Amino acid sequence: MTGEPRDEYRIAIVGGGIIGLFTAVHLARAGAGPIAVFEKGFLSSGSSGRNGGGVRQQWEEAATVRLAREAVSAWRRFATEYGYNPFFRQGGYLFLASSPAETAQLDRVCRAVRSEGLPVERLSREEVGSRWPMLDSGSVTGATFLASDGTVYPFPAIWALFEAARRLGVEVWTRTPVSEILRDGGKVTGLLAGGRRVRAAQIVNAAGGWSAEVSALAGLSSANLPTRHEIFATEPMKPFLDPMLIRLRDGLYVSQTMRGELVGGLSVAHPPGLSPGLPTSIQFLRSMSRALLDLFPSLGGLKVLRAWSGYYDDTPDGMPILGEDPRLRGFFHANGLGGHGFMLSPAVSRRVAKSVLGEATDLDPAVFGLGRFLGEDHARTQERLQPG
Amino acid sequence: MAERARESFRFRGREYPVRPGEGLLHQLTRAELPILVRSIRYHRPRAPYCGTGICTQCLVRVNGVPNIRSCMIEPHPGDVIETENAWPSSRFDLGGVLDRLFPSGIDTLHGFRRPSWLRPLYYRVIRRLAGFGQPPTPTGPGPTEPASMVEAEVLVIGGGPAGRAAAGRSRGRGVDVLLVDRGPLLAPPSGVRAMPHTFVAFLPPAAPGAPRVFRAVATGPAGQGVLLRARTVIVATGAYDGGLLFPGNDRPGVMTAEGALAVGAGLTTPPFSRALLFGGGERASEILDRLGSSIAAAASPAGFDPETTRRASDLGIPLYPRSLLREARGTRRVREAWLVPRGGGPRTRLEVDSVILAHRRLPHTQLLFQAGATMAWWGSAGAYLPVLDAELATNVPGLFAAGEAAGFPSGIAAEASGIAVGERAVGNPVRLADLPSRPPREGAPELLGYYAELLQSPLARGKWIVCACEDILLDELRDAHERGYVGLEEVKRYTGVGTGLCQGRFCLPDTLLLLSAWEQRPPPEVGYVTQRPPVMPIPLRALAELPEEPL
Repeated sequence: MTGEPRDEYRIAIVGGGIIGLFTAVHLARAGAGPIAVFEKGFLSSGSSGRNGGGVRQQWEEAATVRLAREAVSAWRRFATEYGYNPFFRQGGYLFLASSPAETAQLDRVCRAVRSEGLPVERLSREEVGSRWPMLDSGSVTGATFLASDGTVYPFPAIWALFEAARRLGVEVWTRTPVSEILRDGGKVTGLLAGGRRVRAAQIVNAAGGWSAEVSALAGLSSANLPTRHEIFATEPMKPFLDPMLIRLRDGLYVSQTMRGELVGGLSVAHPPGLSPGLPTSIQFLRSMSRALLDLFPSLGGLKVLRAWSGYYDDTPDGMPILGEDPRLRGFFHANGLGGHGFMLSPAVSRRVAKSVLGEATDLDPAVFGLGRFLGEDHARTQERLQPG
Repeated sequence: MAERARESFRFRGREYPVRPGEGLLHQLTRAELPILVRSIRYHRPRAPYCGTGICTQCLVRVNGVPNIRSCMIEPHPGDVIETENAWPSSRFDLGGVLDRLFPSGIDTLHGFRRPSWLRPLYYRVIRRLAGFGQPPTPTGPGPTEPASMVEAEVLVIGGGPAGRAAAGRSRGRGVDVLLVDRGPLLAPPSGVRAMPHTFVAFLPPAAPGAPRVFRAVATGPAGQGVLLRARTVIVATGAYDGGLLFPGNDRPGVMTAEGALAVGAGLTTPPFSRALLFGGGERASEILDRLGSSIAAAASPAGFDPETTRRASDLGIPLYPRSLLREARGTRRVREAWLVPRGGGPRTRLEVDSVILAHRRLPHTQLLFQAGATMAWWGSAGAYLPVLDAELATNVPGLFAAGEAAGFPSGIAAEASGIAVGERAVGNPVRLADLPSRPPREGAPELLGYYAELLQSPLARGKWIVCACEDILLDELRDAHERGYVGLEEVKRYTGVGTGLCQGRFCLPDTLLLLSAWEQRPPPEVGYVTQRPPVMPIPLRALAELPEEPL
């Protein structure tokens, strides 16, 4: 956008990633304008441009499975609806367990996924070995596979939503950081965007890893904790691996993208918080390469092309924070999505848009509301299947 | 047969005798420039281009390992060398029909969406177009040397004039100095430990805390992982000859000055005999000096310096100053090149068999970016360079830059900067009077105006390849710009420019200038992209074997 933001919008969305843009599109379609999205960096500079593109419906909690199942059907329609190929490719997700405890976790996953009517397969080591012979399945004690899971290429989805939002009249202000949330007692009144005072009665916090900071701008505590995760891509090859692989033991996830690169990461514990420059560590390059060669021993000569990192916007119970803040009227959360915001974005943003419009949603406040972290009540639902 | 295999290597089903001490590319390039690989998306024929292990135009599969740059290795007896991304052969490849079927490119972002039931099939086909080669199916042994950790007080990266001078000076003060270079290191300065054929791929900032220690990830001569540790690092990684945007700039026969030297220097009959030399400065005159008998004409985006003019006139080579190189034609080999005078005028058609690009040098600054040095746009150099203090130190304690990587002109200035930095790195005072100077920071790069003019003139049809690694076209960049994507970071992600195997060395400098022209703002406002590790692709095995450090 050129020029300057207006003095007033009906809705201001903080964060121009997949959640913010998708929410803006849903709101604009419902005729809720004028709407502005404020993004402090460039398009896709946050986790929306840094994730591995996985889209899965295998979870431990039925509530997450339901969101994910809706997201998968939305991703299937996306190319037709929005004019860009996000290359949603349903190559399946293969979870690998390498201990009795992990096998038991996959059994819980199977129960939750099947209870939602999805045909997840429970596989033995032998079945994994015969279906994916390029894998060294020696250490596998069990596996699950759901063929309708898949991967997207994140960037085109961002372009599609950016352009769709603009066509619908949404103003998307990139390189425009929000530095203050203005409130009048118990309700929001606007914000400072790019140093300029903008009135808005409704504000959506869709700032991903920076959500806790944005809540703090409104004087609100939050349960979000950004944690930095690293990822790399190898040189491109002709296709040889269809599913996304997840190994529970070390959180390894890897898939082969439309561009032929193997893209993946694994859990390396970095101290929580934001770290300037989003660096890459030698420790990650070493452990990720080891893990990959462990599963694919013949790939030793394959070269790593690019490494980067990004934030998971984690919450204590692994469930997102969606809906209006109980302490501040007009301040809506669309955050706390851990490392899974991109994949769940179609389902999450639709619900957030509805709640901004004051419509009823199926979001149980005890599961998704920020209130679950504020009172004496503790979160009842725990989503433990976090890798990939 | 077994006896034979021990002294020969196999290429395209034929046995070639191994000539010890000679690189693979040289052995494959005798009378003709070989087409070793087909490009990623359009299967365009590609022949050696940069000669320095950066580009993707001489990739081969060696003993089942894909994407090996033939200019960087020596063949061993029994090696099996195969061409990539081509069937039945890289010379006659059926995939090449894609290039003709889609003269203005394939738009996979917006096309191939309908009908939705066909989409999985489309995606399967598009996926097949990615990548040069099949996944590795190694047939040979892995690295014959174990991974290692090497420590030094001062680590000098790069064994050119600047690096050697720096290493020698630091060592002269009794400090333990390690000098690494990607190529051979003949006769290193006395007392300096030398590690030849060692490539530093990643230099993160030193971890906070005392004592300060830099760690660098490298590969050794056998491809093994090497972890380097040093308190002080001098980056003297040099520069490379940059590319140029014009239709046909990826055609076999178009190459950089270094590429031409790699395939042609020292041969009585180089694989080109009627080359168009593009460039009018020191580099061009060097090419005239070394390959003059194979040069048919010389053109320059600006003028010619007196030395180049004199040499060309001695050789009877016609000069075309202030020219736009509008096009190179020829499919499997350049046959002709078209020049237009800048500012307008009649076109000139030249019958040539190659185009040698010697118009600009670009610094290898990736390690400086990675290590956290403050970098600034240097207009006159057309590149980002480290900001140095009056005694040539970067803003990062313990990190120094010398030679062409720091923007000093090659030769005497580069060496003098190495001497100064070598002294400074070990805490000796530097005599300010001895310091060489860099070109001015102000000014606009010559190519900025050149490209603005090129894009205003009626564009030749056909594919304008901005990124040859991923076959990304000028039209795709323009599409991104016209749709409202702003700055290099967004356009990189929209088009994929800068994400190929050369790590953006050939496409990003041009993309920066193109965006600067379209967005009508100077290059530093268009920005740059974060220089992600590794500097060049590094094998998984080398990373996996990196030693754990004792804590």
